Amino acid sequence: MTEKLSRRDFLKVVGAGAATAAVLTGCGPASRYVTREPYTKMPEYNYNGQSTYFATTCRECAAGCGLVVRTMQGRAIKTEGNPYNPVNLGKTCARGQATLQGLYNPDRVKNPLRNSRGESNPAGERDWTEMSWDAAIGVVAEALKAPAGVQFLLGLAPDHLFDLVSDLCKSLGAPAPIRYGALSMFEARVTLGEAARAVFGRPDTLFFDLANADLVISFGANFLETWISPVAFTRGYARMRKQRARGILIQLEPRLSQTAAKADLWYPIKPGSEGLVAAALGKLYAEEKLGVAPVAFEGVDVTAAAEAAGLEVEALEKLTALLLDADRPLVLPGGAALAHENGLETAKAILALNVLLGNPGKPGGVYHTPVSPLGEEYRRPASLKEMADLVERMNAGQIKTLLVHGVNPVFELPKALGFEAALAKVPTVISFATFPDETAMAAHYIFPDHHGLESWGYQRVTDGTGQSMLSGAQPVVAPFYNTKSTVDVLLAAANLPFKDEVEYLQNQVAALVEQSGGFYSAPDLPSFWALFQQFGGWWKNDPGLGVPGVAGVLEKKLNLKTGEKSASYDEFDLLVYPSPILAEAGANKPWLQETPDPMTTVMWNSWIEINPKTAKKLGLHNDDVVRVVSPYGAVEVSVYEYPAIRPDAVAIPFGQGHTAYGRYAQQRGVNPADLFGPRFNAAGDLAFADVKVRIEKTGKKRELSRLESKLGVYGEGMEEH
Amino acid sequence: MAILPKIPEYKAEWAEGEEGRWGIAIDMDLCTGCQACVAACSMENNVPFVGEHDAGYGRQMAWIRVERLWEGEYPEVRATPFQPVMCQQCGAAPCEAVCPVFATVHSQAEQINLQVYNRCVGTRYCANNCPYVARVFNWADYSNYPEPLANQFNPDVTVRRRGVMEKCTFCIQRIHKATDQAKAEGREVRDGEVQPACAQACPAEAIVFGRLDDPESRVSKLSKDKRSVKLLEDLGTQPRVTYLKGGYHGNLG
Repeated sequence: MTEKLSRRDFLKVVGAGAATAAVLTGCGPASRYVTREPYTKMPEYNYNGQSTYFATTCRECAAGCGLVVRTMQGRAIKTEGNPYNPVNLGKTCARGQATLQGLYNPDRVKNPLRNSRGESNPAGERDWTEMSWDAAIGVVAEALKAPAGVQFLLGLAPDHLFDLVSDLCKSLGAPAPIRYGALSMFEARVTLGEAARAVFGRPDTLFFDLANADLVISFGANFLETWISPVAFTRGYARMRKQRARGILIQLEPRLSQTAAKADLWYPIKPGSEGLVAAALGKLYAEEKLGVAPVAFEGVDVTAAAEAAGLEVEALEKLTALLLDADRPLVLPGGAALAHENGLETAKAILALNVLLGNPGKPGGVYHTPVSPLGEEYRRPASLKEMADLVERMNAGQIKTLLVHGVNPVFELPKALGFEAALAKVPTVISFATFPDETAMAAHYIFPDHHGLESWGYQRVTDGTGQSMLSGAQPVVAPFYNTKSTVDVLLAAANLPFKDEVEYLQNQVAALVEQSGGFYSAPDLPSFWALFQQFGGWWKNDPGLGVPGVAGVLEKKLNLKTGEKSASYDEFDLLVYPSPILAEAGANKPWLQETPDPMTTVMWNSWIEINPKTAKKLGLHNDDVVRVVSPYGAVEVSVYEYPAIRPDAVAIPFGQGHTAYGRYAQQRGVNPADLFGPRFNAAGDLAFADVKVRIEKTGKKRELSRLESKLGVYGEGMEEH
Repeated sequence: MAILPKIPEYKAEWAEGEEGRWGIAIDMDLCTGCQACVAACSMENNVPFVGEHDAGYGRQMAWIRVERLWEGEYPEVRATPFQPVMCQQCGAAPCEAVCPVFATVHSQAEQINLQVYNRCVGTRYCANNCPYVARVFNWADYSNYPEPLANQFNPDVTVRRRGVMEKCTFCIQRIHKATDQAKAEGREVRDGEVQPACAQACPAEAIVFGRLDDPESRVSKLSKDKRSVKLLEDLGTQPRVTYLKGGYHGNLG
């Protein structure tokens, strides 16, 4: 920037908490950075043979689980759950456990890099040259001089970097940052938010009180795998089962997912019929209970709905009877159910059904998520329509500098959106990636951020807990490489009035010192900051859930349409689900690669699930390579005969198929998002679940690494085929 | 005349009906198959990864696996409840009797089944004799990681090399740490004080670890639950791991 933004101007934008910022100077309670020293010169808290534990936040997904990382002599040894953090209460998932393999990944970006081929060869091979951090900051500063052409693209987690960038863009007059992650696409989070706006009058991802429900009907919500906050939902699931009268789980989805495997009943309904089934259940329930169906559900033809779903009417009647029996029923809208062209109406139908069941605002029901302690409005991730608009702006040359952090759009966006090609039209692409992912490899500069376990930060946690909270992060080890916090880069490049990231964070959390009802309180900011580090965040003791407004919901008519029927026999519904183990960014961790998929036990690769009957009809066997063709792309992948999937559907997990991202991830498996087309639902989310594919034989065979039937030290079962 | 070595008489270390000291109870109704235990165990115990080829060859090294079987045909198909299986720490362990070098022995203090890596010569008799397929063998030096991946190794646990058998230890390093601590403070180990990595990570709290010889502990109560079963109990191995059968709603169809 040509003129230095004055401290006062920026603080005006930053807002609350700024008043106390001046008090901070020189008041740091503890050392800011963990240093790695030779063991002859150890800090006093570090004894030989003794571990030191640091509380921080898991960055493997956006759920914001708290971690306590065990370190020894400056090395992180083991991640464990933070027992105080209300999201996970001391528990972790497999991805959280493997986060150390990201920290110690041999393929991290170790220095700031510049593509020395320059802009003359934007799409060609990269030739990376190391540069200094001063030069790197200079590049960012230069870019920020033309704020109108600057676009930040950030990850799914609403963290301190997002706050800083939002404020920075606001003060510079640059377009607001965009947040995106593949999980928000698969969970159709924007659709859920828009449905909540339409039904309850407030856009929100909503809090589903699974723990206290006694009957849960889930329309494909894979809450034990990746959905919104899986560790919190798994705890909720366990509590639901452990109630005095064991809670019942019913799953309706075309494939028996890991979550469906835990259900008492599973109905393999046709994809796209979820909204109709919800409405039909609403009609049957209301007629039985109230004698007359409300406006929302009265137009539904129950027989037609059952037929569209591929169910018997008796099945719907049975579900209705269970709903009538239940005291605290809850219905969940899964991601794939909303990823149809009728997805928004489906979401509305499912929320309206919850209203009819009378659960909003009651234990075991639907609530509004608590307001963040930093007093924020709903800040949703970008919909796929908005990402398509971004691509359009890139193609039109409106974006001069694209700054990417915490997301890998070249991999995480469907190829049909054309992001990669549009990237070549952007004069300067700066990636802040920790790993050499696809987007970083296509960028002009890589200014690597620290790994999550080496960084400061906080994250707004909006889901998974009813408590209003901020999860805190601190470095547990000294940075291994010549990386630099992106916040520090931006503070320096934009000449912002903060000495470093820590000062910025302290300024942000200063607003919490005076808030009451917290897990702890402190008289001043330095003490508060010390406790914030010690406990890994700050949260209120009492739940801060909002009661949704339900007035008039059932009086609004729903406009549900069935999805189109299959055009011909050889077309299959394509079901793409995020791999429960890898999710969107786990592929570069070798232990996650070798952790068997819970349902298929396949390791290290991609597969396509085909019903054995269909496979027989097509003359396919396990491990045969097939070509899966959609109107938008094709992939080649090995067959896994999956006994619990609709015969007219096939499924491929998302998470593999990297072309970069380090030695453990690249050239391994396929990316099923290549098969998606640019079709959107009414809320702007991708209608990826509408995609139909054709299966072609290739005559090739590629054996999948499976754990099942190959247990033991002698490799029994390897001669099976 | 050759002097024959004096062979000690084989003496069983267990008694019929003995409860054992440490045990695990796993509620299969709660287990969601999420594999957090598998990852946590591997991270805690320096279990190496072997790569796609060897993993497909049945050489995956995990000390705990989550079993899932298929039952029936579409649409009346279901997956059996997820069942994490690790070394059952048998009171009468079939693996111990066959080891020619006493590499797998029963410890008196913890009453669990030990694997002494520097005694093991890799005969693999123990794995052959284990009815639970709980043992894994280092067919190669899998722990030769590219730098700096080896930084994550837990210094409390040996890194095993090629030719050595290994298996779940009930996280004995954690048991020792807690018992030492309790001893220093002049008290008994409290229930829940020791948690192996799998139980600590389990998001559903399906895995419960504790003292079997303390009738008040959670694990003792669970192992006497009416849903409790032991794997292949009729073999007389006296497993220390108890499974609580999944509680399906039979009337739901």
